[in-house]
Amino acid sequence: MPVVELNHVRKVYDTKVAVDDLSIVIEPGTMFGLLGPNGSGKTSSIRMMIGITVPDSGTVSLFGKPFSRKMLANVGYLPEERGLYKKMNVLEQLVFLGRLHYLSASLATSRARAWARRLQITEALGKKTEDLSKGMQQKIQFIAALLHDPELIIMDEPFSGLDPVNAALLMDTLAELREEGKTILFSTHRMDQVEKMCDNIALIHGGKLVLSGSMAEIKSKYPRNRVHIAFEGDDGFLRDRRVEKVRRFAGQAEIVLRSSETPDEDAQALLIEALARGRVTRFEVTQPTLEDIFIEKVRETLPGAPGLALEAAEVEARVEPEGSYLNA
Amino acid sequence: MRNVWIIAHREYMERIRTRGFLITTVMIPLVIAGFAFGSTFLAARANSNLHIAVVSTDPQLAGELRAELERQQAQSSGSVENASAAAAMTSKPMKIAVEGVVPSLNAKRSLERDLDSGRLDGYLWVSRMPDGGARRYSFTPRRSNMRSVKTMLASALETISLRGQLEQRGVTPSEANQLLEPVTIDEAARPQHEDAEAAELCVSILFFVMYLVIMLYGMNVARSIIEEKTSRIFEVMLATIRPEALMAGKIIGVGAVGLTQVGIWLGMLLVVGASSMAIHLGGDTLHIALTGPQVLFFFVYFILGYLLYSAIAAALGAITNSEQELQQMNMFLVLPLLSCFALLGTLMATPDNTLARVLALVPLFTPLLMYFRVSVGHPAAWEVVLSIVLTSATICGIVWVTSRIYRIGVLMYGKRPNFAEIRRWIRYS
Repeated sequence: MPVVELNHVRKVYDTKVAVDDLSIVIEPGTMFGLLGPNGSGKTSSIRMMIGITVPDSGTVSLFGKPFSRKMLANVGYLPEERGLYKKMNVLEQLVFLGRLHYLSASLATSRARAWARRLQITEALGKKTEDLSKGMQQKIQFIAALLHDPELIIMDEPFSGLDPVNAALLMDTLAELREEGKTILFSTHRMDQVEKMCDNIALIHGGKLVLSGSMAEIKSKYPRNRVHIAFEGDDGFLRDRRVEKVRRFAGQAEIVLRSSETPDEDAQALLIEALARGRVTRFEVTQPTLEDIFIEKVRETLPGAPGLALEAAEVEARVEPEGSYLNA
Repeated sequence: MRNVWIIAHREYMERIRTRGFLITTVMIPLVIAGFAFGSTFLAARANSNLHIAVVSTDPQLAGELRAELERQQAQSSGSVENASAAAAMTSKPMKIAVEGVVPSLNAKRSLERDLDSGRLDGYLWVSRMPDGGARRYSFTPRRSNMRSVKTMLASALETISLRGQLEQRGVTPSEANQLLEPVTIDEAARPQHEDAEAAELCVSILFFVMYLVIMLYGMNVARSIIEEKTSRIFEVMLATIRPEALMAGKIIGVGAVGLTQVGIWLGMLLVVGASSMAIHLGGDTLHIALTGPQVLFFFVYFILGYLLYSAIAAALGAITNSEQELQQMNMFLVLPLLSCFALLGTLMATPDNTLARVLALVPLFTPLLMYFRVSVGHPAAWEVVLSIVLTSATICGIVWVTSRIYRIGVLMYGKRPNFAEIRRWIRYS
């Protein structure tokens, strides 16, 4: 019995189609990543899952039954736009939100304290929300979503705006929750996060499903035609005919091989050539990253769409600002 | 229902603990009391001396006028003593000085100088018609706002001229005085519920308290909705509870703060009322005793009125995005309230005619008009019940519509919606 099931869901705002014929199934106890660039319909899809908006057509089911507001007692939600009562004391705010989820005041208080210890922000509990840093407010909001121990946790961009230490802390926390058997869905435009954490993913673009399935399944469809190489000396080997695209960094390169039939042989030949010209300190042959797959997929679906190149470029820029593709 | 109380409780606690609440609770009565006290104090001082000159060929006129003015004053302060001790105690007896001046060209110039220097408060120029008939009086006051002095003078001069004419016809001065004795009317007590004046006063108080509380707290409901939109907490709330519960909780919580404040003010008034100061300030309003049902209905209609208008305020908050936009919309709150107050004048005379009966059942007007009818008129029991039911239903309806507007509206932030869009939002989702 899937925990979340969107069935051919469509949502139109005024004239803009936010979500178009989207079907998603999330199995219990899994971590699900909802991916897509900004404005692709991630937030709109999530809002329909928790009844903030209602789809124009299609159906939404939670815990195997058609959506009803009662189910929200078992859902923890972290919205993309963070919001807390600014003037309110942090602990009181958490207890207030916990009570709205049918916790008793004392249970909400003890859970809030336990969570604050777990996320290392005990000292924030006595303060006013507006006196906290943005990252701390985000942790508070994170706690607010989990206070009532929900079976289904839905988080819209949970790691955006956090420093690496805190992002890792929250990622670990989500991983622990998954170990406890919770079902987790989170959205992001950071593909690297998803690759590490998720069992299943759905990639959406322009409100449409571009790619979905388990991480392993998706990756296995793609040949191991990516080469990561760190080297010293002459970079002439990068202009080899076997190389389709190169992304250059200081002393390193990410190579896309032209052939998808014999990528292993081509990679070895390239290594020999590189060794002939200088020293190689690292050499790795891999499958394309999710990000590569995403960009490729998006280009396939909508060839030559003007807005698209921009969005794809935006994704690249966000991940590796210093990188650039050179066409060999 | 549980969530409505949690929301209301939060709104109440958060507001009641602010410094702003403390300040308005203390300052507003202080300012009002200061105004009332200051104005009576100033009024008492301003009138305490009157120095005028009478320009006349009749040298006796000045003396007669002075005597007459003093007699009048003694009479009026005597009658005041019956109705209320307040005025007599605050305003000291006015010192009246009247000097006679023989008319001449120089006299006018020197009188003008005296006016400018403030030695004189005004002068009365008496002349005779060319045909030798009646006297003509022309009064030049120092300031233009001396209407009461002019009235006093006119009545004194009238009495003097009447007495002169009586004496000419052979009436003795003592008989003349008897004839000119003013008539006093004693106010007889009437049954309490027929006391239209008291009811009018209570409706006025209800109006002002409601107006104040609605402008302060109704607008606070709207503001707190806008705040929720700007702080973006609404999304968490919408994913947790029904928007109807959120709206209802807000209105109740913020309203409870308003009631608390009004309660504190009433308490203050009662405490202060025990002391003598209130007698000075309150004047003769304190003699009004309300009957039990009137007090009960006051609270019933006050609460209904508050809920109704703050529900409208909540709707305004739901369709606007900022404080400035809200300010432009607040006429929707004020206009029905004001127009209803304007209607009171016409309904006062005939509280039970068809127009009054129909209007009192219109929910926007019910709180003020039905309360007025209950106090002065004779509404049937079914009318009272129907008015309460209709108003309650309207409140629920507005909250329901508002929560839809809120739910959809907050997700489409940006511009203010037009009517077509609002209509679509209500049908939608």
